[in-house]
Amino acid sequence: MGQREIEERRQKLRDQLQAVSRKVSDLVLENHPAYAVELQRVMELQQTLQNANVICSNSRRKLNAATHQFTTSLGLLANYRKRQQLVALLKSLRTIKTLQRTDIRLREMLEEEDYPGAIQLCLECQKAASTFKHYHCIRRLSSKLQDTLVMIEESLDVALSKTCAKFDEHHYFKLQKAYKLLGKTQTAIDQLHMHFTSAIHSTAFNIVLGFVELSSSGGETSSQKRQYSDLCRNISGDLFTPCLIDLCKALWEVMKSYHCTMQWHEHQSVESETTEGEPISSSAMVETSLNRKYLQQKLQHGLTRIWGDVQQKVKIFVLSTDLSYFKYEEFIQVLDIVNRLIQVGEEFCDSQSEGLQDSLRKQSINYFRSYHRARMDELHMFLENEAWELCPVKASFSVLMLQEFKFLRQKSKKTELNNSQDKLSDVGYFDRYADGGSPFDIQTEEEETEDVMATNGVGTSASQETTSQDSDSDEDVPDELKQEFIDEKTGEDAPNKRPSSYRRRIDSKAAGKMAPIITNTTLNVCRLFGRYLQMMTVLKPIAFDVTICMSQLFDYYLFSIFTFFGSEAEAVSRSLSNKLRTTLKRIHDNLILDEDDDVHFSQPGGAGSDSGVVATMTDDSKRDKVPHPHLSSIVDLMDERTMYGLAQRIVATESLVFLAEQFEFLQPHLEANIPASKNPFLQQFYSQTVSTAQELRLPVYVSIASRSIDYDNLTQQMHQVKWDIHDIMSQHSAYVDKLVVEFEAFHQRLSQLSKKVPVPKAVNHVIWEHCIRLANHAFVNGYANAKKCTNEGRALMQLDFQQFLIKLEKLTDLRPIPYREFVDSYVKAYYFPEAQLETWIRDHKEYSGRQLSSLVTCIPQLNKKSRQRIIGMIEESEKNRR
Amino acid sequence: MSETYDYLFKFLVIGSAGTGKSCILHQFIESKFKQDSNHTIGVEFGSKVVNVGGKSVKLQIWDTAGQERFRSVTRSYYRGAAGALLVYDITSRESYNALTNWLTDARTLASPNIVIILVGNKKDLESEREVTFLEASRFAQENELMFLETSALTGENVEETFLRCARSILTKIESGELDPERMGSGIQFGDASLRRLNRQQSTSRKPDCAC
Ligand SMILES: Nc1nc2c(ncn2[C@@H]2O[C@H](COP(=O)(O)OP(=O)(O)OP(=O)(O)O)[C@@H](O)[C@H]2O)c(=O)[nH]1
Ligand SMILES: [Mg+2]
Repeated sequence: MGQREIEERRQKLRDQLQAVSRKVSDLVLENHPAYAVELQRVMELQQTLQNANVICSNSRRKLNAATHQFTTSLGLLANYRKRQQLVALLKSLRTIKTLQRTDIRLREMLEEEDYPGAIQLCLECQKAASTFKHYHCIRRLSSKLQDTLVMIEESLDVALSKTCAKFDEHHYFKLQKAYKLLGKTQTAIDQLHMHFTSAIHSTAFNIVLGFVELSSSGGETSSQKRQYSDLCRNISGDLFTPCLIDLCKALWEVMKSYHCTMQWHEHQSVESETTEGEPISSSAMVETSLNRKYLQQKLQHGLTRIWGDVQQKVKIFVLSTDLSYFKYEEFIQVLDIVNRLIQVGEEFCDSQSEGLQDSLRKQSINYFRSYHRARMDELHMFLENEAWELCPVKASFSVLMLQEFKFLRQKSKKTELNNSQDKLSDVGYFDRYADGGSPFDIQTEEEETEDVMATNGVGTSASQETTSQDSDSDEDVPDELKQEFIDEKTGEDAPNKRPSSYRRRIDSKAAGKMAPIITNTTLNVCRLFGRYLQMMTVLKPIAFDVTICMSQLFDYYLFSIFTFFGSEAEAVSRSLSNKLRTTLKRIHDNLILDEDDDVHFSQPGGAGSDSGVVATMTDDSKRDKVPHPHLSSIVDLMDERTMYGLAQRIVATESLVFLAEQFEFLQPHLEANIPASKNPFLQQFYSQTVSTAQELRLPVYVSIASRSIDYDNLTQQMHQVKWDIHDIMSQHSAYVDKLVVEFEAFHQRLSQLSKKVPVPKAVNHVIWEHCIRLANHAFVNGYANAKKCTNEGRALMQLDFQQFLIKLEKLTDLRPIPYREFVDSYVKAYYFPEAQLETWIRDHKEYSGRQLSSLVTCIPQLNKKSRQRIIGMIEESEKNRR
Repeated sequence: MSETYDYLFKFLVIGSAGTGKSCILHQFIESKFKQDSNHTIGVEFGSKVVNVGGKSVKLQIWDTAGQERFRSVTRSYYRGAAGALLVYDITSRESYNALTNWLTDARTLASPNIVIILVGNKKDLESEREVTFLEASRFAQENELMFLETSALTGENVEETFLRCARSILTKIESGELDPERMGSGIQFGDASLRRLNRQQSTSRKPDCAC
């Protein structure tokens, strides 16, 4: 390559350079305006940028200021919000504080017994508390509220228990409302029943305890811990009745409260039914009615239970004291109280009160047994002291006039009274004493007016004794007896004074035309009849036992009369009818202590304590027996001058007859009081015993008849008469005259006696009948003594007897003359032909074998053979007779 | 509940009608005044056990009717009475005047040893008094009677009357002046003293009821 080439190349490049440079210059020249414009625009941009920068820094500066300003106001805002929150918190805290304070208020309300209010409040609080439950402190509060609620319930319960003691409508209403709020109405009623039960227990216990402490007065005995029944046994007799009254009163209050509670609920349901105006959802209605039904059932059941408890308490109390030594009216008062309680029970729950009835029955029997025992002893004493003197009473006297029968006299009046009382008791005890008081304060207050207690004698027996008052108006009239006697005969004794028809009936029946013959003892038995009858009406459950005892009074009286006056004569046993004999035996076996027993009995301690069992056993079997009665030594039945105590015999026997009549008069009253099933006993007693009273006349008077006339002497005198005479006598024999003289003397003495003692016709007749019977027997015996007899002698016999009869008819008004046939027939049998004689003998068993055979012996028309045969026949039948 | 006692005394209350015999008896037994008491018919009865000088004595008291017409009934009760209350009414001279008759009756009909106490009743009616205490005392002295004024209304001296009479009888028994065993003494041994007597006897015999 050489330098040319390099120069060439350099030239070339120069050329190129020149070309390029020219080109570039051209280009530059060409583009220069654009450049200038562009440059201008850059300049402008720069300017704008500078402006922007200023604006930016300006705004940044302003922004900064703004930022600064803005942040301060936000702080304010935040603070404000905070304040708001704090205010709210404060409010909550206040509420909580009130909530806590509520507790105190609740307690206050409880004290004010505003239970519904308290519960309402409490429930509200609980609700409030639950809204605050996010607070810590509230949790404790709400549990405390729960406690409070429980406490409220408890005090509500306590308040409920107070209802038992005294029902207060207002109070109870609050309680019910409260329970309703709690939704515990059913629980409340269950609880209430429990309270009633325990109220009955504690009430009874406390009352009895109070009385026990009163009597023991020591106070240190731990009576508190003793059993109720144990306490009851420690009540002293004199405190028994007051304690019983208090017990009844207190239990009455409890029952009344229950009654009121029930009433309240009934009322309430009626009310709610009527006021249920606004429609309630049917389910709610169903529920309330279910609730109500539950309540009603519960309360209804409660009645029986509560009465059962009350009954039990009183029964235990009543049975734990021995009332047998109580005075009659005291005992009646006890009965009355218990009976009243029974009535209350009946009203309370239709109860028959078996428990109380049973206790009454037991106590009554026990009481009455010892009462009767004492009365029998008293009667024994009366009988043994009785002189069988006539006790002068008014001719119209009947038991009804005795004070003891006042209750019977007033019966009609009383039933009226009872009716009005029934009306009263229709109202019921619970209404009657709704405003206070109790059926058990009645005794003291209404005693006089109500006449409940007047049914018992003794205490009030002072009040007018009609008998005496009536008859005493004619005091000190001399020879009073006679006077009354005469009065009666003229029939003047004011029958118009007697108001009741039944009294007149008994008058005409009993007294006939004569004043009743009674003794002091009769009067006493009559009084006892009255008292027993009263007891029957009061002691209904044991009415029959009382009846039996009443019959024993009569039995004993009858037995005594027989023992005193009817048992001496030999002839007695024959003159007793079977009925009377049976009756006397029955009385003797059932009622009378044997004489030997008697000896043992009067030495009860003899056996000492070692054979106590034996002693009590025998004691018990003798418990209801009475000693064999002995006639008072004042009475002399042997004195011929007093006709062997005829006056006393009459008074005694007729007083028995009077007593029997009075007893008969009482029969319907007795029947009315005893159960119908026992009627046969009563009827039998009347037919077997009471009716035999009159029969007793026979044995009593027969001994007079047999001793007053010397019948043996008659027979002897007749022995001396010749009966085998052959002339018809026109004159009777002398013995008849002697007999008649005796009879006349007897008649004389009898009429003398009747001036001192009224001799009732019946008695007069019995005596005469006895005498005549005995005389006629003597006649037959006398005739039978005739070994030989002629027709004329037979005629004399008839004449003699005829004479006797004629004279006799002047002495006695007894018609026809009894046993006349006995003599007549015997005399006339003499005339019979053989065949007829035989039948006659066969038909006349009343003659003795001796009488018959001696008749046969002296009949002349019989041949020896037939005489033998007939006598054989007589002897045969004589054997059979034995 | 049979009561035990050492002695039984039969007592009698006699005197004119309306003097208050029944009231006295009632007051003694019931400790109450018997309001509107009626005339007694025949004889009534009451008993009470009292304590006299350490002995228990059962008084069996017969209250008799004062009215004349019951005289025959009441007289029969005189026999065998150990003690008697002869009652008059201090407000009635008539009842006082009748005392001699009553006394004669008692002395003739009752046992000669009968202890009688004169009782002037209705002491409470001082303003109506017709018989002075002094006068009656003199009468009592002359007739060897004890004497007390009583009021059945207030109860004053009522129990005392019975007690005094019983005490006097008891003293007589103890001194031997009265023999209880004699018939018609109006005195009986009671269960209590009988038992005591029996215990002495029964030591010797009586094993016969051990079956
Ligand atoms: N003021 C007063 N009156 C008395 C007293 N005692 C009895 N009386 C009254 O006297 C009246 C007769 O009393 P009674 O006890 O019945 O008389 P009595 O002695 O039993 O009478 P008879 O039974 O007829 O013998 C009654 O009205 C009594 O109220 C007394 O102490 N004071
Ligand atoms: Mg009297």
